[in-house]
Amino acid sequence: MTVPTDLLASIPPYVLVAFAALAVLALPRRAGHAVAALATAFAFAQAVLLGDGGTGAHLATTFLGFDVVFFNVDQFSLLMGVVVGFLATAAVLYAYGSEAPTWMTAFAMLYVATTLGTIYAGDWLTLVFFWELTAVTSTLLVWQHGGAAVRAGYRYALFHGTGGTILLAAVVVHFVHAETFLFSATAGIHPAATVLAAIGIGINCGFVFLHSWLPDTYPRPHVAASVFLSVFTTKTAAYVMYRAFPEGGMWLAYLGGFMAVYGAFFALLQYDPRRLLSYHIQAQLGYMLAGFGLATAVGEFAVVGGFAHLFNNVLYKSLLFMAVGVVVYRTGVEDIREMGGLWRVMPVTFFVYLVGAASITAVPGFNGFISKGMVLDSAHEVHNYVLLLDGGLLWWLLVLGGVGTFMSFIKLGYYVFFHGSATLTPDDATPFQTIGMVLAAGACVFFGVFYTQLIELMPFTDLILSDEVYFKPYSQSHLTESAALLVAGFVGFFTLKRPLGWLAHRMPDVDRVLFPAAFYLGRGSVWGVTELWAAVDRATMAVAGAAMRTASDPREALSRAGVDVEIRAGIGRSVLFLTLAAGVALVAFLLV
Amino acid sequence: MTDVLLPLAVVVPILAATLPLALGLRYDRVGWPIAAVGTTAVAGIAAAIAAEVVFNGPFDHALGGFLPPVGIELVADRLSVAVLLLVAAVSVATLAFARVAGPRGNAFYSAYLLLVGGLVGMTLTGDMFNLFVFLEITGLTTYALIASDRSGASAYASLKYLVVGTVGASLYLLGVGYAFLATGTLNMLDLQAQIVAQAGYGDPLVRASYAFIAIGLALKIAIFPVHSWQPDAYQRAPDSVTTIVAALVSTTSAYALIRVTYTVFTVDFLAANEGIATTLLVVSTVSIVAGSALAAIQSNLKRMFAYSSVAQFGMIGAAIALANETALLGGIVHLIGHGIMKFGLFLGIGLLALGYGTGEIEDLASAARAAPYTSGAVAVLGLALVGIPPSIGFLGKWYIGVGAVDAGLGGGPIGIAVAAAIFVSTLFTLSYVARLLERFYFAGAGLPGDHGEVPGAGGDGAAATDGGRADDDAATDGGDDAPADGGERSVAKTADGLPAPVKGAPRSSIVPDRVPTAPLLALGLAALVTVALGFGGFALAAWFEPFLAEVFA
Repeated sequence: MTVPTDLLASIPPYVLVAFAALAVLALPRRAGHAVAALATAFAFAQAVLLGDGGTGAHLATTFLGFDVVFFNVDQFSLLMGVVVGFLATAAVLYAYGSEAPTWMTAFAMLYVATTLGTIYAGDWLTLVFFWELTAVTSTLLVWQHGGAAVRAGYRYALFHGTGGTILLAAVVVHFVHAETFLFSATAGIHPAATVLAAIGIGINCGFVFLHSWLPDTYPRPHVAASVFLSVFTTKTAAYVMYRAFPEGGMWLAYLGGFMAVYGAFFALLQYDPRRLLSYHIQAQLGYMLAGFGLATAVGEFAVVGGFAHLFNNVLYKSLLFMAVGVVVYRTGVEDIREMGGLWRVMPVTFFVYLVGAASITAVPGFNGFISKGMVLDSAHEVHNYVLLLDGGLLWWLLVLGGVGTFMSFIKLGYYVFFHGSATLTPDDATPFQTIGMVLAAGACVFFGVFYTQLIELMPFTDLILSDEVYFKPYSQSHLTESAALLVAGFVGFFTLKRPLGWLAHRMPDVDRVLFPAAFYLGRGSVWGVTELWAAVDRATMAVAGAAMRTASDPREALSRAGVDVEIRAGIGRSVLFLTLAAGVALVAFLLV
Repeated sequence: MTDVLLPLAVVVPILAATLPLALGLRYDRVGWPIAAVGTTAVAGIAAAIAAEVVFNGPFDHALGGFLPPVGIELVADRLSVAVLLLVAAVSVATLAFARVAGPRGNAFYSAYLLLVGGLVGMTLTGDMFNLFVFLEITGLTTYALIASDRSGASAYASLKYLVVGTVGASLYLLGVGYAFLATGTLNMLDLQAQIVAQAGYGDPLVRASYAFIAIGLALKIAIFPVHSWQPDAYQRAPDSVTTIVAALVSTTSAYALIRVTYTVFTVDFLAANEGIATTLLVVSTVSIVAGSALAAIQSNLKRMFAYSSVAQFGMIGAAIALANETALLGGIVHLIGHGIMKFGLFLGIGLLALGYGTGEIEDLASAARAAPYTSGAVAVLGLALVGIPPSIGFLGKWYIGVGAVDAGLGGGPIGIAVAAAIFVSTLFTLSYVARLLERFYFAGAGLPGDHGEVPGAGGDGAAATDGGRADDDAATDGGDDAPADGGERSVAKTADGLPAPVKGAPRSSIVPDRVPTAPLLALGLAALVTVALGFGGFALAAWFEPFLAEVFA
């Protein structure tokens, strides 16, 4: 066991995946995608095989005089590695089945590579390095599609450039205080850098009001690119959030609660399927952050809940993007009101959509049910601002988010697959799309049924499975809760359908203000700087010109001022100067 | 008997000075050959003296067998030899230019040789009164040479210099008289000992003596505010006269100030009289800034570089007053370097005036295309004057600056002020040299931007702008045209919009420039030496080390 472990631990997966990106470009399309799938599958297998026996700081070295760890394997990075590797493999197959251009897949591979780098970083320096690279590679991935994706890509790049810079500042502050970059040396980021780190990471997490890049960007690129994008940036951000704040904090938990409600609410108003799903990314991140935020208040159970939700979310969120992507790919329509009745012609897609929707809405038997239940249970132990039913504000926020999730996925499914008669008769998913979707869907069901396997992949496994913690997902109360959410969702959707439709055309998100504000601020500052410079330039030239005129013809300048005298020293005046100078010198030399 | 070389170096040019006049009674054009032979002889003697000093150390000669301190003594050490070599080289090289540019006539060459004799005498003498004599010889011949342009403006400039210079020399003489009163001796080395033995550094007679001497020499050097004769004199003199006067006259006066300050009064005198040193520093610092600023606003090239000299000699004055080894080394290096650079610059603009008939910056647009070699050499010298390494201009300023900062760190805030003034002056220098370069290289016809003038229409525009300037020139000089130029000052352009050569301007067979070959070679040599010496920082320091060690002993 030791030899393969050592060998495995010496191969950073992101290097392999990055080479796979080159292979995708160099090889024919089929072979290239095969290599890419193998590389990501290796990342998955490596994480699985390393397991608990392979933890440790591998590839630790010094870089620029700083201690760094390029391949840090612990419980947290392993679980990320497992799910990212797995899903990336499924996504590559899906991309192959979706006629993704090789350039897109190559960029996607680079994006996966940088994501893996971020995940396996063992110090803040390496992490921030890969973090910035992730922003670059994901922007390239968006831009590759061209068209409307380009402008959105610019906004995306601006957001992530800003966020990356703020995180970099946080890391610098951290180093100044802690004098090391290593994760192992400190518990999270130094308190002095809390605000910077929270904002820097929070932009990638889609904090409320910092989220507008999410629904702005993800619906625009190629459908396969959306699958990649939907999974990695935000989930990595949640993971880094935990790295920065392993102690959690109620601010984080409540922020998560509000994100759940905010994201679900705005998702409910969308008609672009991928835009709807993008808002749900924000909502789902809310659950994860709520779990991490309760690390101190509730304990490891909440953290495991957050991570389990993260893990599951990667699976079902990408599954949903895949299913919706198939519809968009086959129909070319991006408005769900123009779809309808597709369940007859796209049964496979409909089926996997059902799995994904059931998972995200936490229907029993699917993986979302397990993890969302854990987060909700944790939140239920917090009794600040108690409202109805002995539930605190946080719990109610999360429940409300859950209802909203139900409603929006009923809406999405209803409009896409039912809703009147089929006007479109597209083909169903391609074989490779199906393979990708079935992989993800299978994982969703598998972890929903065999939930102890999920917990095995999580940190603190022994604790969760021990008797000290109450962990019974299929208890009656959980099932009741789930049924109540389901009913509330159905009732809510069909009663509020019309008002929501009305609201959908009127409810602005922050981007209505944010984008113009940023645009005009940018234009204003460019104008301001230019005009200021011009004003300074004019003033300088005027002063210089006046000085030059006065100096080159001082007599005329004097006469303009009303003094008409000869100022050039003639013979007499020169002698006078000389005499005066001699006199002054004498006085100075003799008296001083 | 090598010490005979010293009187020979003085006597040869003075005796030779009589020949053009005497032989001129019989022959028309003997002046130039006699001057050439005389100055070449001086150069040879100077080289021999230099060799002697290098191999056997400083030596002296008692004139007429009257031994010092009563008799007059001529002395050569490493400092005086350096200045002597500069005097010899420049006086030979300027002759090449004077031959084509004039002024012509045997009387001119007599005065020229007499000037060389006076300069050599000032350099070599070891006697305070003898120094005054040579100072007067130099001054009188300079007045005559300036007036040799035969224009009203040059006569006025000459008269101005005559009156002011005479008063200045008289002040120097007064100072010498005070020193003689205090000590009873005139020999420099003896004075040095007698000031301590008979009077002491605090004696009012000694102080007054230094005050008069310093003011008198400051006038001859042209330090602000007693510089007012100098811009007129440089501008109005014939170009060849400006070349030698700007390169040597102020230089030997500054040498005399160094000699008197450090050999006669010594560094201990400065240390004992901080007020004197400080006053000198303040005046020099003001001179640095004022000279540079005034130079930057001039439109006439000769006048611009004249004011530039005020600033550069301010630096040398500051180096003297700072009284530390680094600064004084810088002062001496800058003294020599400035002589070479100004020789080259005035020669270069003289050549351009000779070939293209103008000395105004504005009229020299695209000069670099019409006269690439002349313009290139002037550009190199101008950049050296700014202090861009490698050049001797950089070395001198650098050593002075370092010395000033050293003094500043040692507790004299004025040292920092001097360093700051040098910095400011460098910026001003850059501004006026850059203006020149911009005209030479980036302005003129066919070039983009508003510098360009449409060929054909260019002549009118330039004439119009020049007309405005000619008005205010006429008010003071009544015409700037040297008859010897062989043409009117003109701003004519060729069809390409380049400065048009003056009709009948000398032509070189090896370069496109409308300039004579021999002076152009001298100009190129000056530029080369300026740059080459820039690599000799340590060699120069080693050369002057014995002198510095002696005065800072």
